[in-house]
Amino acid sequence: MEAAAAAAAAPEERRREEEEEAEWAWSWGAGTDGQLGNGGFDDHHLPQPLLLPTRCRGRVSLVAGGGAHAIALTSDGEVFTWGRGTHGQLGHGNLDSIPHPKFVKFLENHKVTCVSAGWNHSGFATDSGKLFMCGDGSFGQLGTGDNHSRNLPFEVAYFTARHIEKLALGMRHSLVLLKDNSVYGFGSARRGQVGKCASRNEKSHNVPRLIDGFSDFKIVNIYANGDHSAALDEYGHLYIWGRALIGEHDNDQPCVVLPSLSISQVALGWHHALILSAGELFTIGVYRHQNCDLPAPRNVVGQQSNTSGASSSHDGSSSLSATKKIPCIDGEQVLQIASGTEHSAFVTDKGTVFTWGWGEHGQLGLGDTSDQVVPQRVNIAVSSGPRGVYCGSGFTVAVDLD
Amino acid sequence: MSAYDEVEIEDMEWNAELKAYTYPCPCGDLFQITLEDLRLGEEIARCPSCSLFLTVVYNAEDFADAKEPPHKPGPSPVAVA
Repeated sequence: MEAAAAAAAAPEERRREEEEEAEWAWSWGAGTDGQLGNGGFDDHHLPQPLLLPTRCRGRVSLVAGGGAHAIALTSDGEVFTWGRGTHGQLGHGNLDSIPHPKFVKFLENHKVTCVSAGWNHSGFATDSGKLFMCGDGSFGQLGTGDNHSRNLPFEVAYFTARHIEKLALGMRHSLVLLKDNSVYGFGSARRGQVGKCASRNEKSHNVPRLIDGFSDFKIVNIYANGDHSAALDEYGHLYIWGRALIGEHDNDQPCVVLPSLSISQVALGWHHALILSAGELFTIGVYRHQNCDLPAPRNVVGQQSNTSGASSSHDGSSSLSATKKIPCIDGEQVLQIASGTEHSAFVTDKGTVFTWGWGEHGQLGLGDTSDQVVPQRVNIAVSSGPRGVYCGSGFTVAVDLD
Repeated sequence: MSAYDEVEIEDMEWNAELKAYTYPCPCGDLFQITLEDLRLGEEIARCPSCSLFLTVVYNAEDFADAKEPPHKPGPSPVAVA
């Protein structure tokens, strides 16, 4: 009888316990710098629990993945970082790499609204429009007017009187979008990724510079990865500049691509971009690691810094010809997209996560190290609410958002 | 399999600890080529963590007798709070 009573009382309690213990954040892929945030320093080919504190459950609004570190932002404006810390990119005041998410105490008195992670640098924008940066500054990518690295978030004085809305960090460069609709870039300028250079000898800028060449429409988002830069305006026009995604010519001026599409989301890799338009998913460029049969072009890399006149290769027709449509998933709509260096991911309205591309470190989460040409379903628990998917260079993160 | 990418030596960073020029690898680690490799005319930089490799573009004469990296390495990452 006692046993039966206990069993009758249990379901409620058991359900509560199950809810508390149920997994809600995962990571997989390259892990040797602790970037999986699962407590270890190993690669994993299947989703692992990401050790974000339980109090963050349902409050994560974004995870930014860098070269081998990651930043989680909550809806209350709290920031957690983990992974490689060798250049101070975790913002904890030291150079330690840590294999679990850690609260960035320095920012506790700020409400952070946007974060981004570059190869070895990190950026944070606050609700009051301030910009803080930390990590590797050797290419001027912290925008502080010098080339020092910093291990605590450092306010970028250049923007003190301005209001930062968004930021996007690439391998060695940084972009910011201001409330007044202007876009600034700083860091490596070698491939045109921070806009026009005053002279060809300028390889980087450690002071932010205005990037012009946009129409007057409101810019709603900016993107950076590798040596690529992009911006999206309110009408779904996509601007791309920096290292060539199509053809061989870099472009130091924003240039509209795929003008016939109304684009809602963009994700950049190192040699490809994902584009979501009216529920259809496209890629431009290629996964370079799969491009095995083509002979590598020789002795052209340095000469490409002469990027003027490259726009002819970026008109609508030729860029469309380099565009590939990704097959639809039957009965599911793509809600959100993400890209690592050489792999891609999306999450559907059913909460299913799909991955494809380079798989050598298990970054596809499919249990092996194979590459995949078309999106494959990742086996994680079915989600009852919205789910986000995010990529770092060689790893992937999925989080239930509420 | 061919090279993942082609990079000029001046876009690589001198890493005193590894005694090698390095460049980010898409896996998160670094492609590496040592001064000794360059002296011997090697033009492949490998990543210790994965199968990818880079072709390095450089002028062999710059490295023929080099004991120190002839290209000025960037400032070493000094952490400033």
